[in-house]
Amino acid sequence: MRSDFVYVTYIYTTPQKVWDAITKPEFAKRYWMHTNVSDWKPGSRWEHRHGDGSGKVLIDGEVLQSDPPHRLVMTWTRPDRSKEPSRVTFDIADFAPGLICLTVTHDRLEGDEAMASSISGGWPKVLSNLKSLLETGKSENIWLTKGKEG
Amino acid sequence: MAMASSSFVYVTYIRAPQRKVWDALTKPEFQKQYWFGMHQQTDWKPGSPWKLLFEDGRVADMGEVLEFDAPNRLAIKWRNEIRPDFKEEGFTRCVMSLENDGELTRLTIDHSIDREGAKIITEGISNGWPKILSSLKSMLETGSALARFKA
Repeated sequence: MRSDFVYVTYIYTTPQKVWDAITKPEFAKRYWMHTNVSDWKPGSRWEHRHGDGSGKVLIDGEVLQSDPPHRLVMTWTRPDRSKEPSRVTFDIADFAPGLICLTVTHDRLEGDEAMASSISGGWPKVLSNLKSLLETGKSENIWLTKGKEG
Repeated sequence: MAMASSSFVYVTYIRAPQRKVWDALTKPEFQKQYWFGMHQQTDWKPGSPWKLLFEDGRVADMGEVLEFDAPNRLAIKWRNEIRPDFKEEGFTRCVMSLENDGELTRLTIDHSIDREGAKIITEGISNGWPKILSSLKSMLETGSALARFKA
């Protein structure tokens, strides 16, 4: 059974701001509480690190496609390599004046049921918090709220 | 869940009290602001008719209230009346659940039909809800819903 996760959200902002929010560590820390670190070139490694100062690598992988500020594709791998990598695609499209449509697709999850469950709880928190931050300047420590960390 | 079914599930966190999110979901004066001019007509009693109306009064969708447990849970039997191919697929079921989560309200939409690969899910519902819920979140957090755009 396929277990692709797709989440679409519309945000009053620009594609560049969403791109920066994903790829710049100081920005990501404000709504994700984690950071994404890479030079964002195709073939480069990327790391998803805890933002608490420990720098602990929670997830890592390879940048598969990088087309700033509209499309970023990367593998999403457990650092212990205990399961097959899954894949995350960010599509950032201009939708209406001042309004963008962000689609996050997390697929290739067939080999990791626990990851599929974890990310389906996590993405809505991360992406809701991103929309709040970009539209209102406010965000929450989302991993302190109810529900599992993703 | 039954094998022959299709569903769309969407979770959003909104910085607003649960009661405000509930009112925005159930009261026409709020619906008109974020649902691109549309609103619902019903007395919200289980078993009562339910309609989703365009601004000009035409019926877009219709059905019946299945559950109404303010401000936590709402279920609607729901059929599209505009597109013949959607209407032909029959009634869907939409469950809206709200939960307080600190400063936030967690809203879950679970919209399903007992039919595999239903177009109403893949082409209708999964396209519509993200726009409506993004608009609702913007309205409650910033005071301004998403502007009308050509969908």
